[in-house]
Amino acid sequence: MNWGQTMRMAFKSVMNNKVRSVLTMLGIIIGVASVIAIVAFVQGASTLQRLQYEAMGTNQIQIYGWGPRSADWKALETYIDTEMKDEIKAWSPQGQYWDWQNKGIKYRSKTLEMNNTQIYFGNQDYGACTNNVITAGRDLSEADCRNAAKVCVIGETVRKAFFGAMSPLGQSIRIGGTSFKVIGVYKGKFGGKLNSQDQMIVLPYTLQQRMMGDPGQNRQYYAQAASKDAIEPAIEKIRKFMSARYDSSNGNFEVYSNAQWQEQAEASSNMLALLGGGIAGISLLVGGIGIMNIMLVSVTERTREIGIRMAIGARKRDIISQFLVEAAVVSCCGGMLGIILGCFAATILGNLLLLQQAQGGGWMPVIENFTVLPSFGLVAGAFLFSALLGIIFGLYPANKASNLQPVDALRTQ
Amino acid sequence: MFWKRKHVPPRPVSGESEGPNDDLLIDVRRMSKIYHEGKENEVRALDDISLTVPWGEFLCILGQSGSGKSTLMNILGCLDIPTYGTYFLNGQAVSDLKPSVLSGIRNREIGFIFQGFNLIPALTALENVELPLIYRGLGREERRALAVDALTSVGLANRIDHRPGEMSGGQQQRVAIARAVAAKPPIIMADEPTGNLDSASGRDIMGQLSQLNEQGTSIILITHDNHLAQMAKRIVTIQDGHIISDEPGKGGIGV
Repeated sequence: MNWGQTMRMAFKSVMNNKVRSVLTMLGIIIGVASVIAIVAFVQGASTLQRLQYEAMGTNQIQIYGWGPRSADWKALETYIDTEMKDEIKAWSPQGQYWDWQNKGIKYRSKTLEMNNTQIYFGNQDYGACTNNVITAGRDLSEADCRNAAKVCVIGETVRKAFFGAMSPLGQSIRIGGTSFKVIGVYKGKFGGKLNSQDQMIVLPYTLQQRMMGDPGQNRQYYAQAASKDAIEPAIEKIRKFMSARYDSSNGNFEVYSNAQWQEQAEASSNMLALLGGGIAGISLLVGGIGIMNIMLVSVTERTREIGIRMAIGARKRDIISQFLVEAAVVSCCGGMLGIILGCFAATILGNLLLLQQAQGGGWMPVIENFTVLPSFGLVAGAFLFSALLGIIFGLYPANKASNLQPVDALRTQ
Repeated sequence: MFWKRKHVPPRPVSGESEGPNDDLLIDVRRMSKIYHEGKENEVRALDDISLTVPWGEFLCILGQSGSGKSTLMNILGCLDIPTYGTYFLNGQAVSDLKPSVLSGIRNREIGFIFQGFNLIPALTALENVELPLIYRGLGREERRALAVDALTSVGLANRIDHRPGEMSGGQQQRVAIARAVAAKPPIIMADEPTGNLDSASGRDIMGQLSQLNEQGTSIILITHDNHLAQMAKRIVTIQDGHIISDEPGKGGIGV
């Protein structure tokens, strides 16, 4: 007897007992759905966190301190430029001040009606180091920094507040009485929503000294490592270089990266997915036992049918495969329904996650990059596992059926 | 026949031997079937029976309820095994054969007709008749053609999509006959085939069996009905597990 024929027979038998089949599947449906929903949700939350880190800067290293002298900082800049070309792709100073000296930020007669606008002093790589992307105009250039040009790149929130539908390029905004020409706009990081993180203005770092006075020993830098693997060695090199140059009892120097946090967060969310999936997996096991139970009932009910089949020439393996395939069909159907249900549940949970994130005023991902739908591997794995479950739990009843003696089975009423 | 190729026991030199006789369809030697042997409720369903049946026979095994006739048919039909003795089917000792080979014999060489019809209720007439052909491994078209032929030959061409529950007893038994003959087996075993039928349907079924026998099929009919038994060419009467008579019947010359 071929497999196609066995499958057809099994489907028929399952369809003949629709209510019972669906009730039997219920355990598998609930099990698969909860495994998928839980794992997809945890993975979605983890993705959200990863995107959040990446939005701040890919492979970002932060350097700050108030221990080293100006000369030490200068030496570090040179060291990174010359000795660390392999590890560090780009770096930028990060002079950071809130609404500078509270003197107000103005465009013509309009004053920015928002508190705490961030003013950063960076170089041509500031955008790259902080994952800010230009949407209009251009980024700061090396020449802007060299000449201490009075130019600025503004964040999306500032652009919207000052210019609305008008082009901001070439316009001048005044900060504390000094005019700066707008040369570029950074894309909003919040999927179009206005947020305090886009409320920023970036100026060439060479203006910092002129406007604020010497930053002196207290400095901050962003650096972008060439790759994820380059982060740790780069941090080690920088730490080693600086610790040889300044007295650590007098002030402080820090170099670190979010990668460690990210890795830890990822590890703990993987752990969570495993735990949640494992608990949900227990309900799958219960579902499998349910299948075995019903298959045993089915074998008892159909003893006479088994006898007839044996009398007209069914071999042991025909009977085994008939019941195994029936069990597998039930569990696979359950698996498929569970996958559909699980995807729905994951979508709902994912939207709740985003809703909560939005209500908390938190960071929002660009929606194309974010999904809580389960991965193909998860779906395929869940499906195969449910099929396997049907086969494993179908083995005992199928074997029991095939071991019946034809004459005994025929005698059953 | 296919199983004969597998194993042919060495032929004995002298006539007085334990070896099988290839010319016989059935050769039963000193066979017993004992249930609960050695216990208080021991039952000797068959007690030291010997019987030979040549090819092309229309044999009736006649006996009252509990005489052991059904037990004998189950053993002859390879559905059960004897406790003692030897059973050669077409020269092959059945007790030597593996279960899967026995399944093959039941599938290709023997067609069963039971008193209770033994159709599968969830399947249509056509699907019931197709079932042995499926186990035989025939392709869809071939087995459909054979099944439709068989159903047509028993006069049920217009009932092929009916389930057993939608047919009369006579029609169900004709489906069972169609199932038994669809694969054109050389042996038909019928256990009280008219037992649940009115006399007209019963005559019809017996007529079909006679016709099959005329076409060369060996038939073994089990019944308790002396009148019906007269249709066979040979009548073996069995009582309390013993053969008490073995005589020729009228062989299909009217009932």
